[in-house]
Amino acid sequence: MAQAAPVAPPDLELTYEMPEQATLLSDAWRRLRRNRIALVGTVIIAILFITALISIVWTPYPVWLQAVGPTYQPPSGAHPLGLDQAGRDILSRIMGGALITIEVGIGSAIIVSLIGIPLGLLAGFYRGKVDTVISFFINIWYGIPDLLVALILVFVLSDALHLIPRGVFVIIIAFSLTRWMDVARLVRGQSLALREREFVEAARMAGARDFYLLVRHIFPNALGPIIVQATFAIPAAVLFEAFLSFLGLGLPSPTPSWGAMAADGYHGMDFAPHIVLAPTIALSLTLMAFNWLGDGLRDAFDPRMRR
Amino acid sequence: MTAVDGISFDVDRGEIVGIVGESGSGKTMTALSILRLIPEPGKITSGRILYGEKDVVQMSDEDIREFRGNEVAMIFQDPMTSLNPVLRVGFQVEEAMAAHSRFTRQQARDRVVPMLQRVRIPAAKDRVRDYPHQFSGGMRQRAMIAMGVSNEPSLLIADEPTTALDVTVQASIIELLRDLSRELRAAVILITHNMALVASLCNRVIVMYAGRIVEEGPTRAIFKNPQHPYTWSLLRSMPRVDETTRERLISIKGLPPDLGKMPPGCKFHPRCKFRVDRCFNEEPPLGEVDPGQLARCWVLMKNVANPEAEAQK
Amino acid sequence: MRGTLLYIGQRLVLIAITTVLVSSIVFLLLHQIPGNAFLNETRQSEETLRAELHHYGLDLPLPQQYANWVTGVLHGNLGESLVNHGVLITPLLVRETSVSATVGFFALLVTIGLGLVLGVIAALRQNTWVDYIASSTAVIGYSVPSFVIAIFGLLLFGHYLYVWTDGTVFYQPGWGKVEQIPVPALALGLPYASYVARLTRASMLETIRTDYVRTAWAKGLKARVVVLRHALRNALIPVVTILGPLITGIITGSVVIENIFGIPGLGKEFVTSILARDYNIVIGVFTFYAALVGLANLAVDVIYPVLDPRIRY
Repeated sequence: MAQAAPVAPPDLELTYEMPEQATLLSDAWRRLRRNRIALVGTVIIAILFITALISIVWTPYPVWLQAVGPTYQPPSGAHPLGLDQAGRDILSRIMGGALITIEVGIGSAIIVSLIGIPLGLLAGFYRGKVDTVISFFINIWYGIPDLLVALILVFVLSDALHLIPRGVFVIIIAFSLTRWMDVARLVRGQSLALREREFVEAARMAGARDFYLLVRHIFPNALGPIIVQATFAIPAAVLFEAFLSFLGLGLPSPTPSWGAMAADGYHGMDFAPHIVLAPTIALSLTLMAFNWLGDGLRDAFDPRMRR
Repeated sequence: MTAVDGISFDVDRGEIVGIVGESGSGKTMTALSILRLIPEPGKITSGRILYGEKDVVQMSDEDIREFRGNEVAMIFQDPMTSLNPVLRVGFQVEEAMAAHSRFTRQQARDRVVPMLQRVRIPAAKDRVRDYPHQFSGGMRQRAMIAMGVSNEPSLLIADEPTTALDVTVQASIIELLRDLSRELRAAVILITHNMALVASLCNRVIVMYAGRIVEEGPTRAIFKNPQHPYTWSLLRSMPRVDETTRERLISIKGLPPDLGKMPPGCKFHPRCKFRVDRCFNEEPPLGEVDPGQLARCWVLMKNVANPEAEAQK
Repeated sequence: MRGTLLYIGQRLVLIAITTVLVSSIVFLLLHQIPGNAFLNETRQSEETLRAELHHYGLDLPLPQQYANWVTGVLHGNLGESLVNHGVLITPLLVRETSVSATVGFFALLVTIGLGLVLGVIAALRQNTWVDYIASSTAVIGYSVPSFVIAIFGLLLFGHYLYVWTDGTVFYQPGWGKVEQIPVPALALGLPYASYVARLTRASMLETIRTDYVRTAWAKGLKARVVVLRHALRNALIPVVTILGPLITGIITGSVVIENIFGIPGLGKEFVTSILARDYNIVIGVFTFYAALVGLANLAVDVIYPVLDPRIRY
């Protein structure tokens, strides 16, 4: 049957492309680089980081220094973003605000992960009673305005009980205590699914202890979604800080929080809109950048979820 | 890319025409273009689709809307996904009629239960208010058929109507289609890759390959004397119960060509056991080989002395 | 029907329990503060302070205070304002809820209305400039916090509009007139509108390619009917699932919006009371919020099976 054909062999092209050997992270990075909007986000975030770092050692004027010029002065050569109602240099304050934004955003993302990941791993891995307790908290929290609870927490912890001075730290703590459920729920789902997978089963058969399984097998495989979720926690925390400071319940004056700056400028908006515009635009750009990066990461880690 | 090229055929009232071919041969595209339902970004670049005197390609949007479902109805392959899951079955049948001027709204409403009874859905009166997920696969296909014939169209296109169904249900659906087409005196285009189905149901067969008609003719002639090597191999690739001689089944090696890189000459030549030099660079025309039977081949099976032996080589 | 009522009944009980639980957290948090609100009022003599504490039952042991509070909540009594003596909290908050609910309702209208329209248009005109504009507005909009939109709105409609029209047409912050509704409603609804638009677009793109939408076209339905009744109805299902979080978001957003626009609702009361250390009102507002979120989620769950008949309770 399989003898030489009388004429040229059938024109069947079967070529296989060898898939490149790629780890989860490098594969995701390759996909992320192709996502233009995520790249724009990354660039904005890079600028934010650099600005924040510079502000530690240098700002054109000290962020708290009042009356460096006439109050409400519009942008000029000496003060590119103008002066605020107390005659403070707005550019300096925007730079200082970048540092606070980074502190709040990154700090919250880390603490949220530190609380959420272990609890989620445990709930998904051990199921049973552990899961029931953790899931109970997750579910109860799902239906309440968590930002408002966090707001009360900040108030109680710093103003009423004087446990933690009002500042970046208390905001991070309050945010994390009310927002770890997002991460925990996600990790729980991942861990619940991964514990049944063959490679975990195989490691278990080989006599691996639970802790080893969790740390070396389940956690690394859930890393992609965790990174995505943690990235989305950053803009949420930044927004929370701005929201609190705008209402006068966040960082105390003269801390150059963008939210507080917006609140300052908001009263003189009719005749000096530059005071309110600078921090609100900086804030919106930052939130956008992190959301774009988050969307890009989600697509990169899970191409099937792509919308 | 061209999915379908140079297709030309006609269907008369009361006739059942089968279109057969492998998946990807352009059967479904041909059917969809009759209703101008080619999915985006595809389009009909040239040609005519005549329905009586009217050209479907030239119709205005409103004319084609009135034409769809009214003059020509279509029954799709997968009844599981072809019914809207959030609307009641009865309503979906009703709106098919209400969309056209043949019936008034009230008439449309009154006709729903009789239509469901006509496609033999048991307890139709109780089931009109059911949602598709409460119907079995066979029931859903019956509902699709009810929808299709509700406006008494003169042409019914059935695109692999039984492929997604259980074997036990297939026969009853086919029987239903045949009975209905007789009652309505409608023409039917049956798209399938099931040769047995074609043999039992169709008056005429069109065999498609790589977006072209390769052979066409009365069912009897095609099955008895296939002239195109593709048709011939297709028929020899099926086991037959009635055949007493123990012939070996013939398999067609390879895959149909990619739409992007069509071979030159006859599109079938890369897989053909009977090709000659001419096949490599010159595409044969669809020529009459017998009265009523056409084939697109330079060789033709009647000119092959011992096809069985040749094919087994 | 009876099943649904039973389900709603069960859910209402559950909402009551969650509300009490959640506001208990806030109650216990705020009652950790030693001596409570009056310690800050240095002017008071020892005697009046004791009388005050006694009046509010704050001299009782915490478990007793908590028990009294829970009994009160279950009877709909949230106590008395610590700052404005004699002012009962429940009627105050009910009045303010009606204000907040008005703003919230219109914000929700903006969110859903604008979000759906933008999303559907973007999906139907996929990859045209309409789509690009709608999609990029959406991608920017969902990152801009509502208080920033509020500030811009105030600047645009309150200040520039005043300048341009010489003071004839402009927005005056405050509450009580119909023309004071649109600006805050827009500010509150826009960020979520862009979120809904993104989701609707993605969801519509999926449904317009489904088999049942092709069936709808094949039936000869009008384009409007195909898009609205067949594609959008199904595309709405995933959109409805985010209504719950959306309402929570609108409630949170209203806290800052009401303060910016001087709207005497729950959100303004919340911030005012925290700054004035009127803890009883803070707890009360939170109890209202918890109940509102619960009821909103229940409403969403009741709508859900209406949209998707495959879901039953």
